[in-house]
Amino acid sequence: MTLDLGHAEGNAAASKDRLQAAPSQARILVVEDDDDIAALLGRELRGLGHTVDLVRYAEDALFAARGNDYALMIVDLGLPDGDGLDLVRELRRRTVEAPILMLTARRRVEDRVIGLTSGADDYLVKPFAVPEVRARVSALLRRPSRLRGHRIAIANMVVDSDALEAVVDGVSLALPRKQFQLLELLARRKNHMTPKRMIEETLYGFDDDVTANSIEAQISKLRRALKAAGAGVALETRRGIGYRLVGSIQASN
Amino acid sequence: MRRPTPSAADLKLLDPDGSFQGRLEDDRQAIAQLSDSGNLDELRQIVHGLAGAAGTFGYGEIGDVAIEIDDRFVAGEAVTAAAIARLLAALEQALGTPEKSA
Repeated sequence: MTLDLGHAEGNAAASKDRLQAAPSQARILVVEDDDDIAALLGRELRGLGHTVDLVRYAEDALFAARGNDYALMIVDLGLPDGDGLDLVRELRRRTVEAPILMLTARRRVEDRVIGLTSGADDYLVKPFAVPEVRARVSALLRRPSRLRGHRIAIANMVVDSDALEAVVDGVSLALPRKQFQLLELLARRKNHMTPKRMIEETLYGFDDDVTANSIEAQISKLRRALKAAGAGVALETRRGIGYRLVGSIQASN
Repeated sequence: MRRPTPSAADLKLLDPDGSFQGRLEDDRQAIAQLSDSGNLDELRQIVHGLAGAAGTFGYGEIGDVAIEIDDRFVAGEAVTAAAIARLLAALEQALGTPEKSA
């Protein structure tokens, strides 16, 4: 009996058929201090047509993420210069949106839960089977960007639809429900005008009593909250058309 | 359930330049030495590495024993000489190295 490795070199045509919906030639960052595992991942992912950067240290990963727009990151939890969980949190704090697949030898359920709640999108326990890591990478790369992590980054702010919170420079911004819904809508449509009618339909039900000034009042409150939190965004008004959320500063990464 | 045995071709695909097999030999020697000297910190690091990697490269028996020992280290439990001996035996079997008679 042999292992079904489905290796990229040995079974490239079949692999490509199975993975046809996955974007080709994505740029992937692998943060792994085990040289053999890193080399294996590099071979496999390059065999699928991706560009792969391998680093051993969390510090190098932060540096690489600052200068490159990765489609995916694979992060080992046990790194020589720190915990991979801290690296993932820092990447998210810096508004890195790329999906993150965590690798770890930690096998307890609570470890997996901590990994996912720290900002990772998927979790794979070592030792892993090569076809599984390949499939998970392809699945993460296939996700539409709006579904990747449900986080929208604008300047130094992240709007997290799963956690139902907005974070500015790593600090959670306490917003009432309606204001968060408004921010989430505007963030999803960042840099685009959002018509007032669309906001009404998102924020209010058929039976809600919406006055002429309801939206303006919510916009005004949200604008004040964002300013008070130091969010590097501008909430613009175009009279008669709607509203637009834009970044007014660069993310501090 | 019996574990599938990787063929030589499978192992070659996973470790084309023999790097991992070379590491297994280095680890085998280091584990023997460290267990004799009682250097548990270094022994733990090597075992942890094998627990995470051996199964991926097709060395499931080594990986299983390494995981068992690694779990004991993580739990703060004593690691027995018998468990280390099983790991060494799994390494020797995979590498085709004759086991020491004494």
